[in-house]
Amino acid sequence: MERGRRTDRIAGALLLLVSAGYGLEAWRLQADFLADPLGPRAFPLLLAASLAVFSLYLLVRPDPDPAWPPPHVLRGQLGMLASFVVYSYALAPLGFLLATTLEMAWLSRLFGASWRTGLLGGLGLAAALYAIFVFGLGIPLPLGRWWPA
Amino acid sequence: MKRLWKRGILAAILALFGGAFAFSPGNVECIAPANPGGGWDFTCRTGGKLLYDLGIVPRPVKVTNMPGGGGGVAFAHVVTQRKGDANLLVAASPATTLRLAQGKYGNFTADDVRWLAAIGADFGVIAVRADAPWKTLDDLIADLRKDPTKIAIGGGSAVGGQDHMKVLLLAKAAGIDPGALKYVPFDGGGEALTSMLGGFVQVFPGDASETIGQMQAGKIRILAVLSEKRLGGDFADIPTARELGYDAIWAVWRGFYMPPGVPDDAYAFWVEAMKKLEASPEWAKIRDESGLGPFFKGGADFEAFVKKQVADFKELSRALGLIK
Amino acid sequence: MDVLAQLAHGFEVALAPLNLFLAFAGAFLGTLIGALPGIGPVNGVAILIPIAYALKLPPESALILLAGVYYGAEYGGRISSILLNVPGDAGAVITTLDGYPMAQKGKAGEALALSALSSFIGGTLAVIGLTLFAPYLAEWAIRFGPAEYFALMVFAFTTLASLAGKNPVKALIASVFGLMLATVGIDPGSGVPRFTFGELKLYDGVDFLVVAIGLFAISEVLTLMEHSFLGTATRVKVETALVSLKTFMGSLWTILRSSLIGFFIGVLPGAGASIASAVAYTTEKRLVDREGSFGSGDPRGVAAPEAANNAASGGAMVPMLTLGVPGSGTTAVLLGALMMFNVTPGPLIFEQRPEIVWGLIASMYIGNVMLLVLNLPLVGWFARILTVPRWFLVPAIAALSFIGVYAVNNSAFDLLFMTGIGVVGYLMRKAGFPLAPVILGLVLGRLMEINLRRALAISGGDYTILYASPLSKALWALAILSLFFPWIAGRLGRRR
Repeated sequence: MERGRRTDRIAGALLLLVSAGYGLEAWRLQADFLADPLGPRAFPLLLAASLAVFSLYLLVRPDPDPAWPPPHVLRGQLGMLASFVVYSYALAPLGFLLATTLEMAWLSRLFGASWRTGLLGGLGLAAALYAIFVFGLGIPLPLGRWWPA
Repeated sequence: MKRLWKRGILAAILALFGGAFAFSPGNVECIAPANPGGGWDFTCRTGGKLLYDLGIVPRPVKVTNMPGGGGGVAFAHVVTQRKGDANLLVAASPATTLRLAQGKYGNFTADDVRWLAAIGADFGVIAVRADAPWKTLDDLIADLRKDPTKIAIGGGSAVGGQDHMKVLLLAKAAGIDPGALKYVPFDGGGEALTSMLGGFVQVFPGDASETIGQMQAGKIRILAVLSEKRLGGDFADIPTARELGYDAIWAVWRGFYMPPGVPDDAYAFWVEAMKKLEASPEWAKIRDESGLGPFFKGGADFEAFVKKQVADFKELSRALGLIK
Repeated sequence: MDVLAQLAHGFEVALAPLNLFLAFAGAFLGTLIGALPGIGPVNGVAILIPIAYALKLPPESALILLAGVYYGAEYGGRISSILLNVPGDAGAVITTLDGYPMAQKGKAGEALALSALSSFIGGTLAVIGLTLFAPYLAEWAIRFGPAEYFALMVFAFTTLASLAGKNPVKALIASVFGLMLATVGIDPGSGVPRFTFGELKLYDGVDFLVVAIGLFAISEVLTLMEHSFLGTATRVKVETALVSLKTFMGSLWTILRSSLIGFFIGVLPGAGASIASAVAYTTEKRLVDREGSFGSGDPRGVAAPEAANNAASGGAMVPMLTLGVPGSGTTAVLLGALMMFNVTPGPLIFEQRPEIVWGLIASMYIGNVMLLVLNLPLVGWFARILTVPRWFLVPAIAALSFIGVYAVNNSAFDLLFMTGIGVVGYLMRKAGFPLAPVILGLVLGRLMEINLRRALAISGGDYTILYASPLSKALWALAILSLFFPWIAGRLGRRR
């Protein structure tokens, strides 16, 4: 029983930390000029206090643990999240078409497609989206800063 | 490399055949540092459209919305990542200079970009409900002097923002303690105006373009405009605050800045382009229809104007206790 | 009847071939824009203004085109919400709550068709309200001051109790999380940045759509990967059958009530489609969800937000036309467009430019019919998206989410923030925290705090202002009633 309720205990402890950090940050707020009697601190402090109470409840009365994904799933998820971060930064320099094609191919591979199908599918989607956004709607997408215009 | 070479030849040809400027625009981009619907978006979209219609740029101007930080995100982007990009314009207004003055763009300052031109302006007004007891600005000032806490002033910007600054300026000009005023911030002029119509606040320090519809309908009274000279059209009968003895001016100019490091020939080209745009009948038409008035400052003039405005705002904000 | 004569004249304007075509083009483009995640009605209208201007369209035609995009986008937003769990725009976030589970149960066609019908009814009722009562409604909207808005937000929060789920404390934590997100940014009451950690991007507050897409779409992609790796993924059956009469009739009262709620909230300048759909959903859950099936694919959970968000976009036209005050981001853009066409919105517009106002109103009737006709046959097509193989579909959901947000905000920070929120959303789902309260907290929190502070600023700290007017008293009574509703309903049920 002790082992089976770790998730909520950890969540409760983390949330208690969040409420402390948030409350502290709210406490430090200083306004030079006030339009109203409450000021910028009152509402956040109220939120911090309620979160603290709720997370204590979670610590005291945790629910049974859910089934967390086994390591090979976690690896896949981390691989996907890492690619999101890379993609976010790669869009502007690489340009929409290349970055999206590569990102799609990588994700498709994580879901079991071959590089070839992944690349083809990715290129197809990127081209279609580019056509819709740029030619259809006139919304600019990055062309890539690394390539000569 | 190839592009540079081409551009060199083009520049040479232009120079040979009497082209005054070595720079010629390519794919021009205009960044509106906010979501669609506001003044900056308007500046980019109409300005960009006119630049193309007047044949100043070869292809339609691409408008990019880059919201965040009240323009700070775009400012940071332009300074750090677009240095020397001579095909980039960014929409600006006193909201930009005010935030620069109050240090709300982080460590960036007005010296970090090249200020191009202002092509028109909206002007601040002091509006009250048609059935309000105040017939003139003097009446209102007299009551504010008696007890400033009795009158709620609802503006469309946060504390320290444009609408707030207007009343603070006015109070300062009238010798009232600005700190004693009761200012209530709303999300945009429309909400503040509605609140005044509902009687929740009594004074709305808005812009001329925001108030014209309700003024025509006789629902509100405009006590003064915050411009140097009287405005035209429906506003012709309304005195300026300066005429009434209160030296408070608030011109919501619409203009552009460019990234740092833009070559002088390109900068000169754009100043000239803005002059041409501002003088065009097409712009005059759009300007009047959008409730703006004429206002032009370009090049070195504009640089000086902006720097002075930032310095003034800084001093004012400090004096009013908005910044340390 | 003067109104009917005016409306008849309006139909003459709207039925001119050019205007009819523009209404259709606007509706079609709007549906597409709405269906693309991140890009909503605001962007759609902003994109088309220069085009309308360049084509030298007369003002009423331009406005008809732009309005078509506006309500078309409210229709389109539901498509990606239902099929992919990616909210197409802010008003369609709540639609994911029951729409996506319905699609997963093989009822994609039914969800799409029912939501199209709900949108149609909500939209049409709103136009009828606009036709008959616009001037009175404007008077009503004006009577909403800060204290009344605060009471309305408190009422909206009491309906949130209906989202409690299995563990009420977890729902409370989720809503506090949403409220906390709502406090990020420059505080309008003092000009001080809160919880921004010096990041300029956060000065304007967190972007509602970025949070919603992260919370729903990115966490869904992570979940889909888990199922796919564990082999627990179930093949989604796709039935393209439209909605049955029985389901439709079962949702009819929900649709009507939600249309009313959406319309009135839409009329208020300070609220909008996202608040309308949220309040309609939680109210309906409170009223009719006896089996606790909301949140797991109840058709009424799809009907409520869709009727409400379309009714709200019609309602938002009221303050725009009668007061010259935008009731939403999109009407702000429309207002700018009106000014560009030398039309000054305000109390006089009905007298000065009747052809514009009534032409627009008539085109909204026509546009709604067009959208229904346009959308129903496409249901089968859209539903087939779910038959796309998983190795392509899941990455495509992710790519669409990222591109939609990037195209609008042009910021890598937003994409990272969205990813972060996605991780939080995934962990919340695993640990049994409901996601809907986060969205509600985020939507309502800012308005709640700022209106409370505005009211107190006006009164100089006197709290009695909060319940001084009859309107605010009524809203407080409503809030108390809503809080004790389960108890009252239980008592009544027992007596019967």
